[in-house]
Amino acid sequence: MRKSFPAVPLVLACGLTAALTLAAPAPASGQERFRRTPPLPDPFRELKLPAIETATLSNGLTVAATRRPGFPVVTVQLVILAGEADSPADLPFVATLTARMIGRRTRESSAEETAAMIDAVGGDFSVSVSMDYTVLTFHVPAEFMDRALELLRLMILQPEFSDLEAATAKRILSYELRDLEKSPEFAGRRQLLRLLFGGHPYGSAAVSWDVIRRITPRDIETFYGLFFRPNNAVLLVSGDAVPSASDQRLTLPFAPWTRRDVVRAPLVPPPANAAQKICLVDHPAAEDFVIFAGNLAPAPTSADYYPFLVLNQVLGGTMGSRLFMNLRESKGYAYEAFSEAEFFKSCGVFWAKARVTPQTIGASVEEIEREFRNLAAERIVPDELEVAKSFLIGNLPLKVKSLEGYAARLSQAVALGLTESDWGKASDSLMLVNADRVLETARRYLTPVPLVVIVGDRRRALPALGAFEAVDIYDSTGAFLMTLRKGEVK
Amino acid sequence: MNKPTRIIATAFVLIVGAVPGRLRSQERFSSGWTFPVVSYRLKNGLRVVLSEDRTLPVVSVVVAYAAGSIREQRGQTGLAYFLENLMFQGSENVSPLQHLSFVQKVGGELNANTTLDKTLFYETVPSSQLPLALWLESDRMRSLLLAPGALEKVRGELLDTHRRRLATESYLGSYDFFNDLLYPDFAYGHPIIGNGEDLKNLSPEAVRDFYERYYVPANSVLAVVGNFDVARARELVSRYFDTIPPGTAAPTPPLPRFEQDREVVRTFRDALLPTPGFHLGYRLLPLQTGDRYALGILDYLLLRGQSSRFYTRIMKRDLTAYYLAGGLEERLGVEAFKVSALNNNEVMADRCQKAILSEFDRLKVSLVSETELDKAKRLYRMDYLRRLSTTLDRALFLTDAAFADVALPELAAEFERHMKVSPQSIYSLAVRLFVPSNLVVVNIRNR
Repeated sequence: MRKSFPAVPLVLACGLTAALTLAAPAPASGQERFRRTPPLPDPFRELKLPAIETATLSNGLTVAATRRPGFPVVTVQLVILAGEADSPADLPFVATLTARMIGRRTRESSAEETAAMIDAVGGDFSVSVSMDYTVLTFHVPAEFMDRALELLRLMILQPEFSDLEAATAKRILSYELRDLEKSPEFAGRRQLLRLLFGGHPYGSAAVSWDVIRRITPRDIETFYGLFFRPNNAVLLVSGDAVPSASDQRLTLPFAPWTRRDVVRAPLVPPPANAAQKICLVDHPAAEDFVIFAGNLAPAPTSADYYPFLVLNQVLGGTMGSRLFMNLRESKGYAYEAFSEAEFFKSCGVFWAKARVTPQTIGASVEEIEREFRNLAAERIVPDELEVAKSFLIGNLPLKVKSLEGYAARLSQAVALGLTESDWGKASDSLMLVNADRVLETARRYLTPVPLVVIVGDRRRALPALGAFEAVDIYDSTGAFLMTLRKGEVK
Repeated sequence: MNKPTRIIATAFVLIVGAVPGRLRSQERFSSGWTFPVVSYRLKNGLRVVLSEDRTLPVVSVVVAYAAGSIREQRGQTGLAYFLENLMFQGSENVSPLQHLSFVQKVGGELNANTTLDKTLFYETVPSSQLPLALWLESDRMRSLLLAPGALEKVRGELLDTHRRRLATESYLGSYDFFNDLLYPDFAYGHPIIGNGEDLKNLSPEAVRDFYERYYVPANSVLAVVGNFDVARARELVSRYFDTIPPGTAAPTPPLPRFEQDREVVRTFRDALLPTPGFHLGYRLLPLQTGDRYALGILDYLLLRGQSSRFYTRIMKRDLTAYYLAGGLEERLGVEAFKVSALNNNEVMADRCQKAILSEFDRLKVSLVSETELDKAKRLYRMDYLRRLSTTLDRALFLTDAAFADVALPELAAEFERHMKVSPQSIYSLAVRLFVPSNLVVVNIRNR
């Protein structure tokens, strides 16, 4: 049985617990002096990430190689610079279905044969689609790098989008979606993005089954034809002793890939939410209520990015952050209270998230908004600044410790156009953040009124909703039902 | 659904062991990879394993106690898990939940895990913070605060967790029922989380006895993997752990007996379940020399990867299930092969179950091809490498090896034995072990 941190259940009697603990007899006496206080750290060792070496083929494909020494597994990734935001407005999730069908049937192999070829190299293959890019990833033992590249070539250059395979991909997706929709967290994030982004392409992550079912193989083929082009892609190879980026082992398999102009206009982020808006997503099976209160955040290439990371850490990064200390430890309103952020190419989105009982919904929203206002009003104290930076800098190497973590960071850096200061020198960028920059950033991003989405059982929430002037009610799929105004709640 | 867990380091747990007092370096694994290992034992019996890795400035620390659910008595189920949670509620110099905040402040990550035979605590922190991690772990090993308030807090949290799991994991009841049948012996079969009634009644004395008996150096392993100097790590380990009173190592519990003369088929009914399904398992007794390696590879042949036999047949060809999971499971020397499926209706569930059983039977009538076997071995190898891919993975791997008490170079031989599994050995074990007298089936029905 594995614990799940940092989720910890509500204990309203924390103060009592501490008191009882202090009153308990000391278990040991005469301890050595060095045990009484935490030790000083050893000398700090800096994170040094390998340089990314690149080459560009005549068809426009960028090939990038990085050496990750010490482990005999190679990661081969193909990053396509198109993601969910590039799905047609009336057909969100085409990008995801396209990626899911790559790696199945090809002109040379059935889906089963492709799967057998992947297994035959002992590798694993996965696809991930974010707002701005798609990543196809192979992890294989080092000696099978060439075969992984060959398989990737087959998948990318000769895919086949049959009715049968599309139906299978949609069926699997529907099962996954059915599972995801059981989670109040999924429903809350989805609704927040839907409402924050509206008709903006970043609103397309608001997936539901009724849009997936309408997608046809032709839609998928069109998307593939538009975006799966060498001049819109980056091949990434990382591992111990990988060849240089211009080595024919990496470049030859993709030389026949045909170039075609790709039109992708830079996205302009929508305006931040600025009006008071409270929504409730009815989730009858939910035990508790989850509050999301969020708004837009800076883009990862913005000068505000690193100050925002520090700000987010102070607001709700850990159990020592303001939201947790206020909503759970001080007021006892919440089982847990944190803040999270996601970053896309042209902007980001952040939210405070608290799991609460129905009785404390109104007070919790009030306290979250108070924390936003406080951060936008006053400079954070030096200790808070240092603790937040210490966490973020210390956590950098942990983010790249796994094969998946390293691959995700590498593909993100390439796809979002991050620079050396983000890839190898992020700790320097964090070190430069000061309290003034955090305050400026807070004023810019925390001053607009956040959009509030509450997820939980509507019937149990009704008495608490009277605290708000108006609440928009949505069903569990996110479809609008009605607006409940103050005084109408009974 | 509570997925059946696969204890992937099966063979190592049983055959591999520690090398008390000896230093070793650059043990070569035949998987094509080497890493340095230093292992020794403190005077109080604590087994220490150190492995340097200079790739990233991080270090992982694992402290594992031979204190899993197998140590629990009837009426005390969930006690090991209770202790796991209590270990975050403060020790002499670390106040409640401070352990977590100390680690988080430096950007570290931590977790804990209770299994049938062990309870493990682990942190990954920036390498400069190795002293902090060792200080924290040593403090709770030597001086856990067993305050009444902390006990009641943990009890409340666990009862809440228990209630939530029952509410949200629809198939948990059927899975516990299945495990009771597959592992009829109490020590091996009862759920790690315990039952609500036992949790309510756990006495402070029982908790204190468990801690004092099992959370001692002689019953523990400390593994440190990452970016450090061995001399410095040894100095720190000595500083923080040398003077902790040794306690005694708990003896390994006896292997259970399992007697069943025919297949056991039961039905679990719950009208609130979304769909029907089934759990199916073979308890694999008695094992002969080499069976464990063949089973390790067979696991991949049947259920791992996108082209495994079960996955291809059920999820791609027949389309009779929407959920399929399982595999080889090891519970301290007792092995079982489990399969769980969820289906859209009872007809599909029956068809799916027949198909699974026919796939087991197929192993008894025709030899697996060399090509298919090679594919399974390659998947096994990749997973083997993955189990060593991070500092934490490696620390957990070395912890298992140390508990098993055989020389570390044996690990390489273990890997090679898996690579040498032949079609005949798969056939031989299938004929002996996949028989009705080893089979337990629970049909899940929702009406």
